[in-house]
Amino acid sequence: MYRYDDIDQAMLTDRAAEFREQCRRRLAGEITEDQFKPIRLMNGLYLQLHAYMLRIAIPYGALNSAKLRKLAWVASTYDRGYGHFTTRTNLQLHWIKLKDAPDILDALAGVGLHAIQTSGNCIRNLTADPHAGATADEADDPRVWAEAIRQWSTFHPEFSFLPRKFKIAVTGATRDRAAIRIYDIGLRLHRAADGELAFEVLAGGGLGRIPFLGPTIRERLPARHLLSYLQAILRVYNRLGRRDNIWKARIKVLVATLGAEEFARQVDEEWEASDKAAVDLPDTELARIRAGFAPVGFETLPPVSAAFETAKLDDRAFARFARHNITAHKQPGYALIDVSLKAIGETPGDCSAEQMEVIANLAERYSLDEARVTYEQNLILPHVKLDDAPAVYRLLADADLATPNIGLISDIIACPGLDYCALANARAIPIAQDIARRFESPELAEKIGELKIKISGCINACGHHHVGHIGILGVDKKGEEFYQLTLGGSGEDDASIGQSLGPALPAERVAPAIDQLVEVYLRERTTGERFIDTYRRAGLAPFKEAVYAEAH
Amino acid sequence: MPKLIRWRGDRAEAVEDPFTSIDDDQVIPQGDVIISLRRFQSEGAFLLGQCRQVGVRLAADETPEALDADLARIAVVALVFPKFRDGRAFSAASILRDRLGYQGEVRAVGDVLLEQAKFMVRCGFDSFEPADGATPGQWTAAAHRFRHVYQRAADGLEPVFVERATGHETPG
Amino acid sequence: MKALTANRLTDGEVVFWKQGQWLDRFADAELFDDEAVAEAAEAHAKTQVTLLVEPYLIDVAEVEGGVAPVSYRERLRALGPTNKPEHGKQAQGGAQIEILAHAHGAASSKGRIDLIKRK
Ligand code: SF4
Repeated sequence: MYRYDDIDQAMLTDRAAEFREQCRRRLAGEITEDQFKPIRLMNGLYLQLHAYMLRIAIPYGALNSAKLRKLAWVASTYDRGYGHFTTRTNLQLHWIKLKDAPDILDALAGVGLHAIQTSGNCIRNLTADPHAGATADEADDPRVWAEAIRQWSTFHPEFSFLPRKFKIAVTGATRDRAAIRIYDIGLRLHRAADGELAFEVLAGGGLGRIPFLGPTIRERLPARHLLSYLQAILRVYNRLGRRDNIWKARIKVLVATLGAEEFARQVDEEWEASDKAAVDLPDTELARIRAGFAPVGFETLPPVSAAFETAKLDDRAFARFARHNITAHKQPGYALIDVSLKAIGETPGDCSAEQMEVIANLAERYSLDEARVTYEQNLILPHVKLDDAPAVYRLLADADLATPNIGLISDIIACPGLDYCALANARAIPIAQDIARRFESPELAEKIGELKIKISGCINACGHHHVGHIGILGVDKKGEEFYQLTLGGSGEDDASIGQSLGPALPAERVAPAIDQLVEVYLRERTTGERFIDTYRRAGLAPFKEAVYAEAH
Repeated sequence: MPKLIRWRGDRAEAVEDPFTSIDDDQVIPQGDVIISLRRFQSEGAFLLGQCRQVGVRLAADETPEALDADLARIAVVALVFPKFRDGRAFSAASILRDRLGYQGEVRAVGDVLLEQAKFMVRCGFDSFEPADGATPGQWTAAAHRFRHVYQRAADGLEPVFVERATGHETPG
Repeated sequence: MKALTANRLTDGEVVFWKQGQWLDRFADAELFDDEAVAEAAEAHAKTQVTLLVEPYLIDVAEVEGGVAPVSYRERLRALGPTNKPEHGKQAQGGAQIEILAHAHGAASSKGRIDLIKRK
């Protein structure tokens, strides 16, 4: 993967030095909390319920063993020995001390990690297809472009005080594994009929209080003009986005208000008036970045591995793991292995320092020194030889990282919720734990098949509840935790926003309600239908009836 | 006369402000003045005919394109930050410099804080009325805190992709 | 009844006021019956800017076995995260922690909502 050169590195060191000075001024009383708060937020440092939380950026979810080891070291040295991977592919440490924050940023900078722009109304950490560079259905490697955007958006002088935060997701594949329709800008690389590499550009998606799926504003943007076109979008948004109402400040509201066509027209007008050549990267620079992502170290292997096939026959648990956690690679004889951070009864997305070490070792030894973070709060070892898969599986299993549940009912997204988050209305984690325990049986989970449950502790929707097949939103009813269920959401190719099932339920009713929903599905489904397909065919009524029957 | 921070070359210095900023309900005094866009549209031509320097203050929701035809005669464009979080003036300054080719003074007024110094200088602001009492020394240091820049902007600094191409640094 | 709480500036730890001191345990918090006294303490706390972030008053009520913050959020702050009983103040255990953990009833906490808006 791309390695930061002296310049990228200098940016991180300069930033860490700046923050050290700012912290010093705050601790000495030279600046007030009101002045300091936006500064610390721009360095990813929040004050949560119990302590400070540091949100470390993992640009486009790309990790290697050195980064993972450093994260493990920071988690055990400065925190309580664990971290939480989020739907933004960031890592959050929940127990940080302000006085340690400058040292932490220094340590992270040493391996090319940072907390730049993980908060504040700026262009946030980029997300990308976690299968990038490993999947056959890809027109181009999205990481090349994600890195270009990362550099362009870092300390952008014009776009660091936008109306609201701004999130970009990139994919190069036909299958959307980056949820590009729920972001402020979604980018999909494709090759046009004449061979030109181009982006389909979506703008104005986003969850939160008013969820929208982003419409396409340009079908075919020549890839080399990506940055100038992004500048045009950001400039239109910076100038016209609402600033009087925080709930209407995201670009989705601007796009919806103007209409996608009119918004696109204004962007085009701005783009045509701009000096594109001043913004777009020269080919040499793109080639330099691209070289950083060139595949290295793949061996020529037969597409079928005898060791892998035998292991599946010999070990039913491994066969199950292979069915759910192993995906085909574009390189013959290789596979992507999903590392589940959803062990039954554990906190979704949490990873202990020891587990990070294990994954670092596996990445280094078996995956060409790469690991990825997915927005579904799991990790991926992207380049594992099929021959090695059984060994990797065993080592993952020893560290409780091999739950065979990717895409299944216990692979639940949950935000930190009221257990940590100062903005929360209700807890999310215990709800996820309850549900996962109820569907602990791998046979049952497999029988149910793909079912995506997503839980947010408040309307900010960090847990993507709107696009869960079953979405769960924590609400505060007179100070008590209640949960609003939605059905039929999806964040991927068949993206849709979920519909409310009915009145909010108290905490102890949520897991039983999921049981009832699943029962209806198992009863109603026809061959091959996933939960969401049955819902789309049969509608809300049978599900609603099952959950609210007693109330009638 | 109140002090102002001016950006000269690559550093900030304190200067006397020759301009008086006039609200819409104030009588216009002698000397150099900065007035609102609305007032400029009604009284600008008259004032410019009086052998004095005239500046225009643009509110955050007013666009510099509105001044296009008169820009050459305007000595100062003062861009208002109603709150430091309101970043519209960064776009306005960039457009003034990069698109409209404005050569006069671009002044940051309102909730102008030290932490924004580097962004402001990069976008082409060259005078500042800091709301937090920042000194020119602090302003210079803040603007130079980073050795490199990732983008081209109105300050004309060489972005990293140019630096890299000219081989100052080893490629990664 | 009220208590005064804040997060400590240097490490973010949840702290409670007791006669001019800031202590880690809710069990040690001074309980104010008199609103005016509570507000005076809060006003003083707001001047301690190099010590604290966002001091605010919380409602406290009698529960079985003792007293506890009325709002669920405040009880969580006084205990720690429910998914990690080994972390936070609850790790110490003891009778006072048990009382908090078993307290019922609820109300929103206004102090924190303030924090959100200013973000
Ligand atoms: S959805 Fe709400 S509760 Fe959950 S992490 Fe985001 S802000 Fe916090």
